[in-house]
Amino acid sequence: MNDKNNPLLSVRNLTIHYITDDGLVKAVNDISFDLEKGKTLGLVGETGAGKTTAAFGIMNLVPDPPGKIISGEILINGKDILKLKKNESKKYRGKVASMILQDPMTALNPIITVGEQIAEVCRLHDKLSKADAYIKAAQMLELVGIPSDRIDEYPHQFSGGMKQRVVIAIALACNPQLLIADEPTTALDVTIQAQVLSLIGDLIKKYETSMILITHDLGVVTEICDKVAIMYAGQIVETGDLEAVYEHTKHPYTKGLFGSLPSLSAKAHRLNPIYGSMPDPTNLPNGCAFHPRCPNKMPACENRAPTNTELESGHFVRCLLYE
Amino acid sequence: MAKKKGQVRQIWRRLKKNRLSMFGLITLIIIVLAAIFADFIAPYPYDLQNYSVAKQFPSLEHPFGTDNYGRDIFSRVIYGTRVSLQIGFISLTAGALIGTIFGTVSGYFGGRTDTVIMRFTDILMSIPKVVLAIAIASTLGPGLVNAMIAVAISSIPNFARVARASTLTVRDQEYIEAARAIGAGNFRIIFRHILPNILAPIIVQATLGVGISIILAASLSFLGLGVEPPTPEWGAMLSAARTFIRDEWYMVLFPGLAIMLTVLALNLLGDGLRDALDPKLKT
Repeated sequence: MNDKNNPLLSVRNLTIHYITDDGLVKAVNDISFDLEKGKTLGLVGETGAGKTTAAFGIMNLVPDPPGKIISGEILINGKDILKLKKNESKKYRGKVASMILQDPMTALNPIITVGEQIAEVCRLHDKLSKADAYIKAAQMLELVGIPSDRIDEYPHQFSGGMKQRVVIAIALACNPQLLIADEPTTALDVTIQAQVLSLIGDLIKKYETSMILITHDLGVVTEICDKVAIMYAGQIVETGDLEAVYEHTKHPYTKGLFGSLPSLSAKAHRLNPIYGSMPDPTNLPNGCAFHPRCPNKMPACENRAPTNTELESGHFVRCLLYE
Repeated sequence: MAKKKGQVRQIWRRLKKNRLSMFGLITLIIIVLAAIFADFIAPYPYDLQNYSVAKQFPSLEHPFGTDNYGRDIFSRVIYGTRVSLQIGFISLTAGALIGTIFGTVSGYFGGRTDTVIMRFTDILMSIPKVVLAIAIASTLGPGLVNAMIAVAISSIPNFARVARASTLTVRDQEYIEAARAIGAGNFRIIFRHILPNILAPIIVQATLGVGISIILAASLSFLGLGVEPPTPEWGAMLSAARTFIRDEWYMVLFPGLAIMLTVLALNLLGDGLRDALDPKLKT
């Protein structure tokens, strides 16, 4: 409980909506979590659960319009980054918090050499001279396992896995305290995935960086995360330490997620999916957002939204079953 | 840095394969050289009047003949190259710069900025280019600089359109988002990440635009709104010679040919550049 009092990142009641012509998209609804220094949080959820929007919120990069942060606080070292002025938040991005985007194929500018792109961060934040930044870029390349003599090459001369390494080098070049990795491995094939993940894992351990790993791969989470947060329809339905969530799964949705994974030991002819599909975020159901698909549905679920309930220390569940 | 040269070389290699654009390029180089070395090439000063040889048919002494004041047309065409290229390139560069910046800003920020800038270019575009240029030139009065201003302003909307359209496709690329995520500001994103990426269509537009600007400038001079005599300008020469077209046709022919050849060379080169710069045709 000690480090709980002083987390690096503390998100409080964050709500982000997109105001579009087709209606109000409630992308992120009232999420709260803490992340301590050097720890890794896995943010898991289906497509459209609001994971990426939450990440953009933490970077203070929600596209406005149509996005709007309705309420909430994002405290980093006790400072609310949503209240930063424009040029302050420029200094914050890349220096304090950094982001790895989903698709390395398009995250690099095709007409600038990779070296220059890494050097750009260093020049923006650490005010290095051009020559120093170039040296730093070469070091970063070596660090992510790319020979530094490829520094003058263009992104199209690299393979997907290599590009993602470059993106990681850019993200880590200024030694950020918080790294947000938005599905860093979805665009890569499986062997490269494992390499990239272990690279990220090693680097954040080395620099004691905190990380939020966005993924929908529950297996990946067990490999590098300390904590897990399961998102559904813009809410965190269950969060806690890796063990608590994996071993003492409480929320019906989380149970459904684990249940839908094929197992090596048990023979099964068919996978066990969670029936139904994600609700339309412009038109969330009343009460608990999960009730139309929930196997443990009670009559009250249709009317009353569950609140965050702490079952044991640090293990929160948002379900009426446990209230 | 070595790689950058490699890219240029690749474009050059692709351009070289295109015979027509090489023809355009060589012609253009000859025209530019003629403009630079006009003092050495032209056998007579452009304003030397000699009534004893007025209206002479082309001969060895006067390869393009002489006009009604006895001035050597060949010398005047050569000197005219200077004026035309000057107007063409300077006014186009100015128009391209302003138009590109407006277009990029408009496309990047979108929303109200976009609406204001684009409606303004719509207004400019709704007026035919020549009419617009005439209106501006007649307001400012004749003269070389005023003609340039008129041509520059009327070329702005094209560049704004092209730049905006390209910016829109580049703006939502993930690397722009990535640039924002590392803390780059709007100014930096526009000039470092967007502009270089949209340069290819703008270069093509510029090469094709120079030709149009030269014609526009010649039209202004033809109407008496451009360069003032005795400065030799192709449009003005055409205008002055058109009364003699029945008997002394060579007086109109050569300045006309000069305009045609220059614009043709520029257009051929522009077409070739468009193909060479198109990354989809990369092999």
